[in-house]
Amino acid sequence: MPHRIRRYFFFGMTILAGIGLGIFIGYRVVPVQNPETAPDTLRIDYKTDYVLMVAAIYHQDGNAPAAEVRLSFLGDASHLKTIQTAIAYAQERGYAPVDIQKMLDLADAIQDLTKNEP
Amino acid sequence: MNHKGEAMSEERYFLENNTSPVKKGGYWYLVTGFFLGVVLGLIYTWWINPMVYQTTDPASLSDTYKDTYRSTIAQVYVATGNLERAQRRLNLLEDENPVYVLGAQAQRALAEGNAEEARALALLASDLQSNGQLPLVTAETISPDVSASATPRVVPTQTLPLATSTP
Repeated sequence: MPHRIRRYFFFGMTILAGIGLGIFIGYRVVPVQNPETAPDTLRIDYKTDYVLMVAAIYHQDGNAPAAEVRLSFLGDASHLKTIQTAIAYAQERGYAPVDIQKMLDLADAIQDLTKNEP
Repeated sequence: MNHKGEAMSEERYFLENNTSPVKKGGYWYLVTGFFLGVVLGLIYTWWINPMVYQTTDPASLSDTYKDTYRSTIAQVYVATGNLERAQRRLNLLEDENPVYVLGAQAQRALAEGNAEEARALALLASDLQSNGQLPLVTAETISPDVSASATPRVVPTQTLPLATSTP
């Protein structure tokens, strides 16, 4: 192999090795720490608790459009699906029946709201 | 004869380039390439495609989202009057001084014309202060046994896997 080509070859190989080490360092050794995240990345138990909060407010004021606005905080495409997921989790985890009922009421209200939308 | 020719060639090379053929450029290009690769790898992992955290907690939210979360907690407190639950939820945000943060947010809300939100935030701040704050309750200190308690805990528990991240 000519000397010049050999130099290019080893130069390329060391770049690749460096990239490999850089990726290892960037993902494993010193990953991006504590990024400020959006609510859609919240863990399901926190999401469920948020839905419960919205349901509790709705239970008090009966304002479904306001509840829909509050649910949009979670950033999910379907509010109804978000509530249903939360209800399923709450049932699985043994939440108080009164809390589950509040979420069911909220689901009904959001469903009605969706139906009435043009 | 042959050796003599090579020696002459090297001597001529040295005279012309003022260095030996082995030392020309040395191996620094390998170090440069490796360093360049490490920098490229770090740029990729830190800026181009950083870790995406899939299961985060409220404390990691940006300040704007924390404000919305805090406001919702306050409004729930106004609706239910459950101070203990409000305290637990506030602790999830890991504010150093929840009362102060609530008060400051109430003032901001008032300045923006959100009187109802401001009132809820101020009421929660006031009640927390007057009733004395509960000891810090974090996700780790909450019992995972939700069904066994008389008043089921609705705040997150530690039974789920800890926050994970994927590249």
